[in-house]
Amino acid sequence: MLILTRKPGESVFIGDGIKITIVEIKGNQIRVGIDAPKEMRIYREEIYYQIIEENKQAAEVLAGSEEGLEGLSVNWSSRKQGAGKVQTEAKKETESQGPEVVVKRKKKKD
Amino acid sequence: MSGKEEKGQAPTIVVQSTRFGELEVPADSVITMPSGLIGFSRGQKFIMLEHKPPFSWLQCVDDPNLAFVVVDGFEFGEDYKAPPPIGDPEIELKDDDEYAILVVVTVRPNPKDTTANLKAPVFVNLRNKRGVQIIFDNPNLSTRFPLWNEDTGQATKETDQSKNEPDQGK
Repeated sequence: MLILTRKPGESVFIGDGIKITIVEIKGNQIRVGIDAPKEMRIYREEIYYQIIEENKQAAEVLAGSEEGLEGLSVNWSSRKQGAGKVQTEAKKETESQGPEVVVKRKKKKD
Repeated sequence: MSGKEEKGQAPTIVVQSTRFGELEVPADSVITMPSGLIGFSRGQKFIMLEHKPPFSWLQCVDDPNLAFVVVDGFEFGEDYKAPPPIGDPEIELKDDDEYAILVVVTVRPNPKDTTANLKAPVFVNLRNKRGVQIIFDNPNLSTRFPLWNEDTGQATKETDQSKNEPDQGK
């Protein structure tokens, strides 16, 4: 790892497009400013790992747990009727049930 | 949307999936996620399959084993603050584009433990069918938002085993 010493207000360039500035040092916290192209995604490390871990777990839908989704589906719809609070937002995106990209599940005949 | 009709039939593709077998779907229903889901960059093309509302499956076209359960983000109502990534270079989302928010669900054997990742939803630009998973910096958004609501009480009974389907996917 390359280690550089910088003072508040000083910056480091990574290539042409990324500039990292030490904005402020306050106790044991350092504020860092990042200028980067929009396509560069910038995450706090712990959140990045947290999302990877959650995605991994989401990808492992165990056999048998699908039945749980049915109960959850019933629970969800009664919540919507009951509470009234959690209502689908009346936006143009949601005029049909669920996102438009949904395609009907259609088994191909063998 | 495109008015073109080829012999009255929209072109289809065949998708292999471990869970649902072989599926034939319209070619234009394929969602392209150039970066894949975070940590799963190998899967870049997906189709959506309806399940019990509000759930759908996001089935990977490139990998038969890879599938996620998702919920339409608009189901969470106005309290769910998930601003669309206007100008995102991967999905080229413009102000007047229609988009879908897909919240990734972590399904647990006990439905009460099943959660939704509100912190990192997938946005799909419906104009070009491109998708991207966005991480929100908002500390109020949970990666494990419980979907089960105790207040509805009676729903618990309906999760009995009466629907013991024999087909057990992996």
